[in-house]
Amino acid sequence: MERTQLIEELRRIVGPRGVVDDPHALMTYDADGCVMDTGDPQVVVLPTSTAQVSGVVQLAARYGIPVVPRGAGTGLSGGATAMFGGIVISTARMDKVLEVDTRNGRVLCQPGVINYELSQQLKPYGYQFAPDPSSQKACTVGGNIANNSGGPHCLKYGITASHVYGVEMVLADGSVIWSGDGSPAAPGYDLTGVITGSEGTIGLMTAAWLKITRLPEAVRVVLALFPDIAGASSAVSQVIASGLLPAALEIMDRLAIKAVNDMYKLGLPESAGAALLIEVDGVEDGLDELLHDVTGICLRNGAIEVRPARTLAEQNQVWAARKNAFGAMGRLSPTYYLVDTVVPRTRLPYTMEQVGRISREFDLPIANVFHAGDGNLHPIILFDRRNKSQNQRALEAATSVMHVSIEQGGVISGEHGIGVEKQDYMTLLFSTDDLAAMAGLHQSFDPHDLFNPGKVFPKGRGCGELAALRKAGVAWAELKSS
Amino acid sequence: MKPLLSQITSIVGESYVIESPADYPAYAVQGRTPALVVAPGSAEELAHVVATAYAAGVAVVPRGGGTMQPWGHPPVGDFLVVQTTRLNRVRTYEPDDLTISVEAGMTMEYLDETLAPNGQMLPLDVPIPARSTIGGILATAMDGPRRLGYGTSRDLLIGVQVVEASGRTSKAGGMVVKNVSGFDMMKLYTGSLGSLAIIVSANFKLIPRARAAATIACAFGSQAAAFALARAIHESQLVPVAVEYLFGPHPQPLSLSGRGESTPPSPARGEGGWGGEGSLLVVRAEGLPAAVERHVRDVSAMAERAGASGVTVMRDAAHESVWEAINNLPQSALVDGDELLLRLSCLPASLERALADAESLAARHGLGMRVAARALSGLAYLRVRGDDAGAQRQFHADLLGRWTQLALLAGPPALKAEVPIWGTEIPNLSLVRRIKQEFDPENRLNPGRYVV
Repeated sequence: MERTQLIEELRRIVGPRGVVDDPHALMTYDADGCVMDTGDPQVVVLPTSTAQVSGVVQLAARYGIPVVPRGAGTGLSGGATAMFGGIVISTARMDKVLEVDTRNGRVLCQPGVINYELSQQLKPYGYQFAPDPSSQKACTVGGNIANNSGGPHCLKYGITASHVYGVEMVLADGSVIWSGDGSPAAPGYDLTGVITGSEGTIGLMTAAWLKITRLPEAVRVVLALFPDIAGASSAVSQVIASGLLPAALEIMDRLAIKAVNDMYKLGLPESAGAALLIEVDGVEDGLDELLHDVTGICLRNGAIEVRPARTLAEQNQVWAARKNAFGAMGRLSPTYYLVDTVVPRTRLPYTMEQVGRISREFDLPIANVFHAGDGNLHPIILFDRRNKSQNQRALEAATSVMHVSIEQGGVISGEHGIGVEKQDYMTLLFSTDDLAAMAGLHQSFDPHDLFNPGKVFPKGRGCGELAALRKAGVAWAELKSS
Repeated sequence: MKPLLSQITSIVGESYVIESPADYPAYAVQGRTPALVVAPGSAEELAHVVATAYAAGVAVVPRGGGTMQPWGHPPVGDFLVVQTTRLNRVRTYEPDDLTISVEAGMTMEYLDETLAPNGQMLPLDVPIPARSTIGGILATAMDGPRRLGYGTSRDLLIGVQVVEASGRTSKAGGMVVKNVSGFDMMKLYTGSLGSLAIIVSANFKLIPRARAAATIACAFGSQAAAFALARAIHESQLVPVAVEYLFGPHPQPLSLSGRGESTPPSPARGEGGWGGEGSLLVVRAEGLPAAVERHVRDVSAMAERAGASGVTVMRDAAHESVWEAINNLPQSALVDGDELLLRLSCLPASLERALADAESLAARHGLGMRVAARALSGLAYLRVRGDDAGAQRQFHADLLGRWTQLALLAGPPALKAEVPIWGTEIPNLSLVRRIKQEFDPENRLNPGRYVV
């Protein structure tokens, strides 16, 4: 189909203001937060309703044009990048909170609602949306659902998947389904569960019923300072092992502290090699006891100082420093590569040692700001993208982190997703049979690879091919039983 | 069947095949006798058995402890029962990681005993833990009262290995508490009633056992008053781990799992509390001692304001045994021949209305009814008793007319055969069919039993 004709038809569906086809404007859509991979869409549309999305999907399906969903584009694995061109559907204009239903503990919103804005809107009701990725001031709930995003408070409240009751989704034929609404035991399969984390590859989400969480009666935040990251890591391992359940356990290392110290006027001493941010919440009663136990473990692991954030303002300041640490990396280096892997929590101290070794081996500074309580690492490799050798070493260092994490019994992504960035590492974790089962699920939603093609599954092993392998199971079974 | 029998015997050994299941009525699935009962000793053997059955064109009915075999329709066609209880090993357990990987035939009780010495738990509150297996709990997505505080198996399952219809083995997830590497197949298999794949092992995120716990059982003269307390708790900033609405004779805390002595609870406060009949709201608090005491104080006071006729506080053995009895209420294996077991699902705020309908319909049709409902989650299990089959049928039809997500989990075969046992509203059926078609195109896994 001619591009001009396509654009004309799209204008008819979403209106003239809903189509971006100017080549300069399109350039801002060639990547998401993962700048390593880029791809140019033919056109970007910004629908305002489910009906418009359905219209665009039907058009795309008719002509076999890929459809790439995009929220705020803050993703770090290339999930919103149009690898094979096509139509990017941005949810930017679908940004309304439609209904707050506290009696049923849920909220109905469009996918383009910004995570932080949602919690702000829920606050007057005494509620919050618990998943809180560090990018929450920019990222959208649609992106959170697509990536099954995490955040510091996952430690206590669980990942996004535990906070989605149902989604409205446009399928590959343009039909629209609701996967659930908050009724806990609808018959059938858990479609909401499999849609969450499917990275926009099986349909396009147009609304969601999300679970809302009552704000805690009381919150305490303290910052424990350690001479080095080893001490902080073992403190975290011991807190988890001792059965205490803080709301968040976040580590920043020396480089990260350096990046945020001045900007957020934290006044942390130079001697601090690592800061552990501890938050506990719940009813007021017992909270000090819990905090006392946690800080006791810190002191036994060599903490040099424990600083309580006494006022709400101090708490907000500490959290702002933590959540904006990635942005603050700009003070240290022109570019960074943020790696996201997870290890079992007892392996954290050893894995952090290995990250230090990798930094020395590839001669690149690595800062660490991470969800220690979940064992979720975020080594931030600092480099200059214009320098070819540094570029190459950054990629190799990231690969080494993945190998170390897998060796320690971990996985290659905890919350950022596979996208394009890690698709070729999937085979390190999964066999062809494992991937074929995932492909089978994918095929039952999107048999013609319309949505976000070229993601998640390893390059050169398309879903269709993997699913076909699986269908050849009869022969396999005969072979096996003979 | 002869060649199949010899093939299967060569895989698992003679001792683990029952050639004449007709002699063992316990293995019949809702009155239908399997061709063979096979008990593989490992995931590999199980895969081999399934592949062999697949090649022979025979269907497979997976079975754990058998406690939930009354669920769904009887299987259609010839089938093998594949019994998973020999798959009962711990695969990996590093207590300090708070994760465990176990084989699917392990009972919940055994898992619990494995975790207890390390002060850990998997708080799923399953009925009959001495018989219920991990695989069965996942396949049915059976929930428990503490879903309010800890979620369901859906929230705690972090990895899974399955054998698919053709005998192919695949896995998903991992041994970490946060993981977006690949699709979340765990969610697909959980609650699929063995219709997509047979779960052979499962990895869980564990929860530290609470330092303190207490039960506050509040008796009410009316359902409305009990739900007024539930609403007040929902609106408060209290964080109980369970808020259970009970109706009917108060459950007797017998130790049905055969574990330990039963300890009858002793009323601590007020007369007319536990022990009688009628509406109860039972609240469970867990956590730090000070936090638990706060819940005891606040909930007791709120109950009195809501007009409770009695408040009973229970701790220790009484607390434990009361919850054991509550957990067992919705168990299909414990339902008598003249009982229906129904599961009603709705939005949490609609539950009160749904139960008011159920209670008035039961009264109108002269049927006895016991209710165990997750009061803040929109889920209720109803046990409806009566010797008049016509009255039961009419009750079911009337309730289904008003509440579409009503599953008949156990009941007389004649009734099950003629009513929509999964309710009248099965969302997204065509998509659900496509998934079944993709995973089990020949319809060999639990054929006919679930919605597709």
